[in-house]
Amino acid sequence: MNPTLITALTGFVPYLVPEMILGAAACVLFIGGTLRAHRHLWGGVALAALLAAGLVLLLNPLPHYESLSTAEAVRYAGPVVLDRLALFVRALSILGGIILVLFCWNAAPEKRAADYHACLLLMVAGMGLSGAANELITLFLALELTSIPTYLVLYFGKSRLSLLPPEMGKEEGGGGLDAPAQEAALKYFFLSVFSSALMLFGFSYFYGLAGTTNLPGLAEAFRRASQTGAMEELAPSPLLSMGMIALVMVVAGLGFRITAFPFHFYAPDVYQGTTTANAGVLAFVPKVAGFAALVRVLGFILPTLSRQTFTASLALPILSDQLPVLLWIMAAVTMTVGNVLGLLQDNLRRLLAYSSVAHAGYMLIGLAVAPRLLTAPDAMVDGVDAVFFYLAAYGAMTLGAFAVLEYLSTSGQPAETIDDLAGLSRTRPGMALLMVLFLFSLIGIPATAGFMGKFLLFAGALDVPANVEVAASLEQRKLFIALAVLAVINAAIGGWYYLRIAAVMYLREPPPSALPAAAKRERSWPILAAVWLCAVLTLGIGVRPAPLMQAVQAAVPRLTETMQEMTRQPAVLPKAALADAADQ
Amino acid sequence: MRELLLLLLVLPLTTAIVVALLGPGRTAAVRWVSLVSVLVSLLVATILSIQFTVERTRETLSVDVTEGPLTFRSDWIQYKTQENLLPLHTAADGTVDSAIQFYVGIDGLNVWLILLTALLMLTCVLVSWTAITERVHEFYAWLFVLQLGMTGVFASFDVILFYVFFELTLVPLFFVIGIWGGPQRQYAARKFFIYTLAGSLLTLLGVIGVALVLPQVEADHDPGQSHLLTFAIPELIARVDALNRELPKDVQQLERAPKDMEANLQQARDRLDYWRRVQLWVFVAMMCGFAVKVPMVPLHTWLPLAHVEAPTAGSVLLAGILLKLGTYGFLRLSVPLAPDASLRFGVPVLGSLAVVGIIYGAFCSLGQDDIKKLVAYSSVSHLGLCMLGLFALNEVGLTGSLLQMINHGLSTGALFLLVGMLYERYHTRKMADYSGMGARLHLLAVFMVFITLSSIGLPGLNGFLGELLALGGMYDFRGSQVQGTLLASLGATGVVLGAWYMLTMVRQVFFGPVKEPQYEGHGQISDLNGRELAALLPIAGLCLALGVFPKPFFDTVRPEIQVVAGIAEAARQRADTEQAVAHRVDVQQTASVAEKK
Repeated sequence: MNPTLITALTGFVPYLVPEMILGAAACVLFIGGTLRAHRHLWGGVALAALLAAGLVLLLNPLPHYESLSTAEAVRYAGPVVLDRLALFVRALSILGGIILVLFCWNAAPEKRAADYHACLLLMVAGMGLSGAANELITLFLALELTSIPTYLVLYFGKSRLSLLPPEMGKEEGGGGLDAPAQEAALKYFFLSVFSSALMLFGFSYFYGLAGTTNLPGLAEAFRRASQTGAMEELAPSPLLSMGMIALVMVVAGLGFRITAFPFHFYAPDVYQGTTTANAGVLAFVPKVAGFAALVRVLGFILPTLSRQTFTASLALPILSDQLPVLLWIMAAVTMTVGNVLGLLQDNLRRLLAYSSVAHAGYMLIGLAVAPRLLTAPDAMVDGVDAVFFYLAAYGAMTLGAFAVLEYLSTSGQPAETIDDLAGLSRTRPGMALLMVLFLFSLIGIPATAGFMGKFLLFAGALDVPANVEVAASLEQRKLFIALAVLAVINAAIGGWYYLRIAAVMYLREPPPSALPAAAKRERSWPILAAVWLCAVLTLGIGVRPAPLMQAVQAAVPRLTETMQEMTRQPAVLPKAALADAADQ
Repeated sequence: MRELLLLLLVLPLTTAIVVALLGPGRTAAVRWVSLVSVLVSLLVATILSIQFTVERTRETLSVDVTEGPLTFRSDWIQYKTQENLLPLHTAADGTVDSAIQFYVGIDGLNVWLILLTALLMLTCVLVSWTAITERVHEFYAWLFVLQLGMTGVFASFDVILFYVFFELTLVPLFFVIGIWGGPQRQYAARKFFIYTLAGSLLTLLGVIGVALVLPQVEADHDPGQSHLLTFAIPELIARVDALNRELPKDVQQLERAPKDMEANLQQARDRLDYWRRVQLWVFVAMMCGFAVKVPMVPLHTWLPLAHVEAPTAGSVLLAGILLKLGTYGFLRLSVPLAPDASLRFGVPVLGSLAVVGIIYGAFCSLGQDDIKKLVAYSSVSHLGLCMLGLFALNEVGLTGSLLQMINHGLSTGALFLLVGMLYERYHTRKMADYSGMGARLHLLAVFMVFITLSSIGLPGLNGFLGELLALGGMYDFRGSQVQGTLLASLGATGVVLGAWYMLTMVRQVFFGPVKEPQYEGHGQISDLNGRELAALLPIAGLCLALGVFPKPFFDTVRPEIQVVAGIAEAARQRADTEQAVAHRVDVQQTASVAEKK
């Protein structure tokens, strides 16, 4: 076998040690959990595994290839790609994983704690891998690696009946799930499987069209097809029109994970039905995995096809023109639906579910504008980096909000509906202040992570370059400005329901029973640590955004750089793709 | 010496944290720490403004308004701090040449507003001394966060930083109104928050929009050079002004060029057209946030509610400082960044709305029975006058508008203070409940009459000059967009109406036969005490000082006002030329049509 090919097929293995550590630790937990039920022991093991994985990732972040041809071979043959984007997603997953493990410390009954943490570790590995996938197959495996543990986690959750006072619950501690929780678990399971099937269907089209499952190979095939079409002024090749169908399927499948309209409707029911900790996991893990996967799959369209955007081929129905329209509509509807329905909610988890739908809508703006921005070398942001910035910020603030609720409910205060939080500023001033920080960050008030995230997304939408001579580009620009205005109006609508929670906590008096209850509360240090970690991140990203900004900008290379790279080396194509392109 | 200005930002923040940490138990300590902090702030602000004034009077800065590009020159900004917050572009040699900056400083437009903020904070701390008894530490903590936000907005020279502070004022005021306000406080606080949030988010789009589109159009106009993104206000304004002057010149030159340049001419026209449209939308977007804050008339409904429900300190700051954020935003950002749109769209629309506001606000005041509501609606009227002067877009009007901002801050702030003091004594704000209070509360009555006279513009007090200049500026409006004389005359009726409702209120409450409100719960009523006098005296003193010796004020603000006026004047000349050209083309066309016949 060709030695470069061997490097391509095996060289990545040492760099996946973090994921291996997580997987091994998960096995230890699964087995160990049967021997001994101890929440703190197994939580500690999970935490140690995450820290070890993070350390290994830090020490050995990126591979160096001896020659360009090896790098090229890895790009076109390797199952995983170890670029800065992958590094960013993996680091984000591990950091998020640490918060999740702390935050879910008390989420499962004692004897299930080990299993619960093992599932979390597998999810973290899956999230990281979905950002590193270079193959449709790897991507699918990575996504399933996050989904399957999620189904388990939904069944592991403590029954909320056990949280109620004994006379109200039908049985003591952890005795099975209540009906809403069962409904939530089932609903999530069926819809998730369905969405995976949709995505696989799309993947199979891609394979059939281009003859490869390798993402850069696919990109090359599509680029050639659209270029030959443009040059010879022929009708667009079937590769492109069929490619659109495949793409819609994939976007639909991934839309479920990021709770984009119209695949969002499970979220409110599931979040409300399950426990707070599970809802927090659902708000974070599938979003990161979904957006990372979307960027990877769409990545083959973004940098290659869009360079023709402002030439004569504008009228051609190529993917890079149609895709933003699809994402535009999804973004607009998703955020509007999320925010407007959020106004009507009284249940906190349901409200945060709609909030997570709305935030998915904001993030889709970044993806929608990305094909346009990548052609502008001077653009301030390029859409995709704004998405990843927002993803990090969103993780900190949403997990923070859920962690506050979890902390309250584990220490004896019910945190089901907005009214449960009445007068929280009197009974627990610290928690109320932190909750307000997360809420204001979700609104997008300056000096918080949410503001910087929204700022970058809006700047992306406003920065779409317009060429005065090309009428169509002006039209597109107007469309994206309209999207930014819509997002701003949505942010103001969203402000209302977040503010409602803040108002209840600060402006209402606590119920008379709350004050004595607050005196004899118990503390859960791990959850408290999770809350504080999120608070520090939320405030830190808001006040000093530069480090995160640099990280995401390094993660998402500009088109100018990508193009230089491409012109330097003629691509080594998989044979099937070459033949297919030649046929056109 | 830049540390002095930074101290004005750091001190409120530290005080807020310290006060919050002192906790609910130690109210006396909280109050004294707050008092010391505001006194230091006031001292620093006074030193700053005196030094600045001395500097300005020593060397006269001259502005050549005929030559562009005009801007608030960065060498005029004193106590300047410029640090990169978020680097956006790095030059080849590794230095950051484009960034979102922490850029604060003092210039003629903000020096007096910063002093006013520090002064009104002192009165707020004093007036809340006994009025706030619940959750004292929280109250003062939020008050100091508010001070940070207000001072920050005025001192910012970076649009993003400006916006950050602008939004930051919402949060503390939401809590101040919502927790310590009147019976409808929750509704008032939320309405205030959402109204302002929605408006200011659109403002954010406007400021990002102008900063992002500017390099694109510049690159289109002059492809040779690199055009970096900037968010620094002075640089943005200079580049916008340069572009505004150059694009029409291009078109004119190409019009004289031979016929084969037709394509280029069309291109230049398209570019100019595009830039004008961008400016219009930028102006409209910024207007949304600022007009809510001012408030301009159809968007004012949050104001009376918030004012009436807020505790006295909240009302004082709301009227005294926060409303000025809107007018200040128009002066600092909207007009210089979109002068053509300000002239063509802003003057007719906002000028008319200002007049509507003046008259509508005055009649609403006349109809009120609640003294606080009366003062709240009078704010709508007075701020209308301020906007009218601002959108005269000439030196006189702009100076009058800026002076009116200070005046309104002083006199309306003091009016809310006095109403608050009256309310603390009798627990009612209904005018009909009072009569002849002058005989009971001598000092309070003296101050009320004095402040009322200052508010309605008695010559010799501060209000007179501001109103005169603002109306005079509009009277002198030379563009063809609106009839300046008509607007100014209509606006002047507001002054008359102002005298009517204010004096009616004073007569009803303080003169006539003595009638004390008969409500339960008030004990022995005494006149103003030393603490209340300390809150009122500096304000009254400044009212008098500005009325009789306004020269330092005019000297300090002149250069920056001339810059804004110069930018607007250039826009007016462009509009007039274009109108003349359009007219000529029109005449030629009719002539040729007539010839053919």
